[in-house]
Amino acid sequence: MTDRLTTQLATWLAATDIDCLELRGPGVHLCLINRNGQVDLALASVSPHAAAGKLTVTAQSVGRYQHSHPAHEQPLVAVGQAITAGQAVGLLQVGSLLMPVVSPEAGYMVRHLVAAGATVGYGTALAEIRSTTAALKAKGHGH
Amino acid sequence: MIEILSTTALATVQDLGRSGALRWGVGTSGAMDPMALAAGNLLLGNDEGAAGIELQIFPYQVRFVTDCAFAITGADTEAQLDNQAVLPWWRCAARAGQVLRLSPPRRGVWAASRAYLCLAGGVAEPLVLGSRSTQMRGSFGGHEGRALRLGDRLAVGRPGLIGEELDGFGLVPPALAMPFVVDGQPAVRVLPAAETACYNEVSLAAFWSNPWKITAQSDRYGYRLAGEPLVPLAPMELRSHGIVPGVIQVPPGGQPIVQMRDAQPSGGYPKIGTVIEADLWRLGQAPIGSAVRFVPTDWTTAIAALDANRRWLDEARRLIDLWRESMAGLRQ
Repeated sequence: MTDRLTTQLATWLAATDIDCLELRGPGVHLCLINRNGQVDLALASVSPHAAAGKLTVTAQSVGRYQHSHPAHEQPLVAVGQAITAGQAVGLLQVGSLLMPVVSPEAGYMVRHLVAAGATVGYGTALAEIRSTTAALKAKGHGH
Repeated sequence: MIEILSTTALATVQDLGRSGALRWGVGTSGAMDPMALAAGNLLLGNDEGAAGIELQIFPYQVRFVTDCAFAITGADTEAQLDNQAVLPWWRCAARAGQVLRLSPPRRGVWAASRAYLCLAGGVAEPLVLGSRSTQMRGSFGGHEGRALRLGDRLAVGRPGLIGEELDGFGLVPPALAMPFVVDGQPAVRVLPAAETACYNEVSLAAFWSNPWKITAQSDRYGYRLAGEPLVPLAPMELRSHGIVPGVIQVPPGGQPIVQMRDAQPSGGYPKIGTVIEADLWRLGQAPIGSAVRFVPTDWTTAIAALDANRRWLDEARRLIDLWRESMAGLRQ
């Protein structure tokens, strides 16, 4: 997940004349250096997930977090609902663009961690999932 | 390539229309909801005017014969790709063999009647008089100049999923971002026409203030409306003259007909007004049995409304380009 975040930020940073980008958030500390379009990773640290089986889905973009599609009254997933790997549990909205917030693993929806309509930044924990595939893997997810 | 699995009629290949051929008596055709078609194409990185499939009778099913990225816009048809739900106004990646199923539209936040299936690179049909839209009267354009049938196979412009985002993403329908509603009913703006002044005051007042029901005799050719009959000051006899989509004719019975995308290029009924081009997508989505309202407008407002549509599409394109760029970065 951090790789995705880092690559996304690096792509955008390379296109600017900004020299350094440093990002601190809950469980993440990232520093990117831009040398004339060549972006290097100077520092990245991410704290591992607390409990096995419990999975936190984080924002991979800025945007407004939505629990339901704007054209629907019902939320994308209900609390306790079974979800498949890759299924959207929420949406991030930037203007008219809607980006899915997907669960990386199969499991159950536990709860949203952010209110519907709230503006969030990169790495914000958005939803908690109880993974049903975690038992098959080694401890943690190594994100 | 995709294959049609439904026997349902009236699904046609449409782009944004065949302009510049009225002089030969060839109507414009094109998507009834051009905003939805253009948005579907933007989601795929296509030209806005690439050809897609307009669907108006449901359920409907197609099978992907090759891997292909697609987008579904327009009415919310609770699309399912095999067993996976596809959100409205969403783009997705389909694998060869997968089946896309569309259900009758939900009447939720926005009551709409037509869905658009857009495909990466567009539906690959030849241009006829500058357009890929199906011209039903002339039996040309689109797929063999006719509505789609069970077993038809349509080639797509950019098959395969190499270099395509596999994660879906979507757009908020413009009907939610720029609603136009009067007393809870969808409304469209109308310019005066040559015979507007030929109707009595009571009729004109009723035209602007009453809801008009879209009757079952409404289709891509025209919408026959039902409401308080419009009474002319004196009987009118006109020679046939050129007409375009949006023109509101009033036949002798006083129940208006709005010409739509497959309108014939000429007619002889008096015209009480013209629905502005920028609002035709709203009317094009209004379901049979629903009611619409007419709001008087002027030329300046009509042009500004077109600009507003343009801005919505430009902003959607900008945001999608940013998203695609960052996704391309992630794949490297």
